[in-house]
Amino acid sequence: MQISEELVRQIILDVLKQEQGEGKPAKRQDEQVPPLSFKELGPAKTGTDRNEVVIGVPPAFGTHMTKTIIDIPHREVLKELFAGIEEEGVKARLVRVNRTADVGAVAHDAAVLSGSGIGIGILCRGTTVIHQRDLEILQNLELFPQSPLVDKDALRAIGRNAAKYAKGEHPSPVPTRNDPMARPKYQGLAALLHNKETQYVKPGAPSTELSVQL
Amino acid sequence: MRYIAGVDVGNNTTEIAIGEVSGKGKVRFLSSAMVRTVGIKGTLRNVIGIIDALDLALQPLAIQRKDLSVVLLNEATPVIGDIAMETITETIITESAMIGHNPSTPGGQGLGLGQTIGLPELAAVAADAQPWVVIIPGTAEFADAAEQLKRALSRGLKIAGAIVQKDDGVLINNRLPQPIPIVDEVKFIDRVPVGMPAALEVAQPGRTIEKLSNPFDIATLFHLDPEETRKVVPIARALMGTRSAVVIKTPKGDIEERRIPAGKIILLGHRQKVEVPVDEGADAIMAKVADVYPMEEVQAEPGTNVGGMFEHVRQVMADLTDQPVSTIRVQDILAVDTFKPQQILGSLAGEYALGNAVGLAAMVHTQKLPMQRLARKLEEEIGIQTMVGGVEADMAIRGALTTPGTDAPLAIVDVGGGSTDASVINTSCEIKSTHQAGAGDMVTMLINTELGLEDFDLAENIKKYPLAKVESLFHMRHEDGSVQFFQQALDPRLFGRVVVLTDSGPLPLETRQLLSKIVDVRRQAKRKVFVKNALRALERVAPANNIRLISFVAMVGGSGLDFEIPSMISDALQEYGVVTGRANVRGTEGPRNAVATGLVLAYAEEFGG
Repeated sequence: MQISEELVRQIILDVLKQEQGEGKPAKRQDEQVPPLSFKELGPAKTGTDRNEVVIGVPPAFGTHMTKTIIDIPHREVLKELFAGIEEEGVKARLVRVNRTADVGAVAHDAAVLSGSGIGIGILCRGTTVIHQRDLEILQNLELFPQSPLVDKDALRAIGRNAAKYAKGEHPSPVPTRNDPMARPKYQGLAALLHNKETQYVKPGAPSTELSVQL
Repeated sequence: MRYIAGVDVGNNTTEIAIGEVSGKGKVRFLSSAMVRTVGIKGTLRNVIGIIDALDLALQPLAIQRKDLSVVLLNEATPVIGDIAMETITETIITESAMIGHNPSTPGGQGLGLGQTIGLPELAAVAADAQPWVVIIPGTAEFADAAEQLKRALSRGLKIAGAIVQKDDGVLINNRLPQPIPIVDEVKFIDRVPVGMPAALEVAQPGRTIEKLSNPFDIATLFHLDPEETRKVVPIARALMGTRSAVVIKTPKGDIEERRIPAGKIILLGHRQKVEVPVDEGADAIMAKVADVYPMEEVQAEPGTNVGGMFEHVRQVMADLTDQPVSTIRVQDILAVDTFKPQQILGSLAGEYALGNAVGLAAMVHTQKLPMQRLARKLEEEIGIQTMVGGVEADMAIRGALTTPGTDAPLAIVDVGGGSTDASVINTSCEIKSTHQAGAGDMVTMLINTELGLEDFDLAENIKKYPLAKVESLFHMRHEDGSVQFFQQALDPRLFGRVVVLTDSGPLPLETRQLLSKIVDVRRQAKRKVFVKNALRALERVAPANNIRLISFVAMVGGSGLDFEIPSMISDALQEYGVVTGRANVRGTEGPRNAVATGLVLAYAEEFGG
């Protein structure tokens, strides 16, 4: 291939255009998302209803932090999870896990509280796990480790699959995607978000039952 | 005294029996072994497997390979079965006239009849008696969509139902003051015509639709004349068994079931020649096959699907035996009716219809050549005299007769991978035997296609092992309903899944199919091939072709070890008053090793001293 000045110029222009294009969502990060209106209903109890899935969130979720790493407002996150669960005819219960911000532990605590034994744990940045109470904390039913790839469709599917496990059906796992660029692109940001999130952890504190106006 | 090894190379396994012959008819069996056959049966690659098996059998004995006097190979009337599937029907929607599918969670229930309208247009229409079926595209959020429907209802509009692109049916329905039937997960919603009369039905959980799967109900709903009613029959048929459906009456909208010309099979008997089109189905083909006996050759119409399949079988056989293709003749076929899930052309929700198909197994008899080539090669490799022994079926029956409690007259059925064989020995020790096309490999093919797995190994596992559903990390429910508990937690990947209980542990299946459905397909496939073929084979060898005149049947071969085939065959033969059992060769080997044992016995009988 012949490399002419024309071609080089064209490539530079293309790259610049792309960079500008990518710059846009960065700007949106400044947009403020108001915190959610949670109501605390006291210490979380273990459910007895076989027909429920418990969603566990860490302390900063929807309060000090209000959107995921790809700027999905936490309101939308919960809405999609709830919708996925409701569509399957299963009930959802929301719990704040105060003692930890580790995704496996949050999800496992939620699963232990759940009447069906199925829980979902989701971090502020979007990392998600579907857990079952009889598993070890570091095991999982389904794990979505790359927070930048957890979009609204994935969240809906996660809610749906958790509900299907609760019903004793056998769902096909939500297809997990893998983006080799997610790490270099987001690792710094993810680390910052993690640090921020863990500041609000109250070790040893019990989990609280929440209701939320979406 | 001489050490003799009997070798039986099968489609799947190579079996060995080693015996010590000390005089005419005097044999003492020392050991036996079994390994997987290397390469296709009858090819030179088999040698590797044979040597492996020999060493395995000699290992516990204090003798060396060189101490063997003779190695005997089975004659293996080389039978190769090939299998193919021909689709004979295909459903085509020429215009968007229907949606019928099984979204896991449709909304509401009941029957609705109205005119189709887009969600945005709903706000602009005036309230009158006209009921509407609202089309809700994926861009609309479920809460908004429900809000708009609610507003329309409060204005006095009649909403008969909704067609939704996303999986939002329950969500929208939960937000409405009164339930309406909603069909969701309609992938190509932009193809749903607007302004047309539509009927929509959602059945209650656990049931299937009743109205839209009945052509006369469709006729009632749309006021169709008899001519038009005739045209909706394929629609009704395609909708049968679904939980939700929409039928839209478009001016030209039509659906047709096209029959694909699959070609003809030509059966050449001693004196007769019969042609039978493949699309007449398996029963018609098999009836003709039974008529034309003895069969000389089976041919297929060239240039058709079935012609291509036959050509393939002959080509494979020709390559294997180094004979020209023209000398290879197909001598038996087994046809089986089956279904193949196929995407409906022009569908709106990515629906599948079960197209009818015919599965064919073909069998080819060839010369002794390949086994003699194999014997020469083996002799070169190990330096021991190698001979091709007697006819396989004769040897098998000799081996089977070593089962305690058996005596002539006796019939055996050998269900293998490629063919089903039967032989009968009468009181005067005359043996009659037959080979039939179709066995284990065909069952695997049927399971693979009917479940739409596109994974031959998985289908093989489903055939071989029972299923279970992992209900919690500490217990699973087996397909017979019994529950097994575990002390150790199971792998989380198995949680909630249907698993195949293979020898190396449970294997999860990623499929939406219910366990009962998979079990059903597996059993049906086994019945269609194994049971049918066992009966067909026994009929051929039975005195006066009457199975009732056989008193004992012993099952030999690998399939005798299957967890359900022996009982299926046994049940089927019970009707004929035949006692059926699994052979126990030499009282120790179970149904295996019959041919290898028979080879050594036959050698001993002719042993001069």
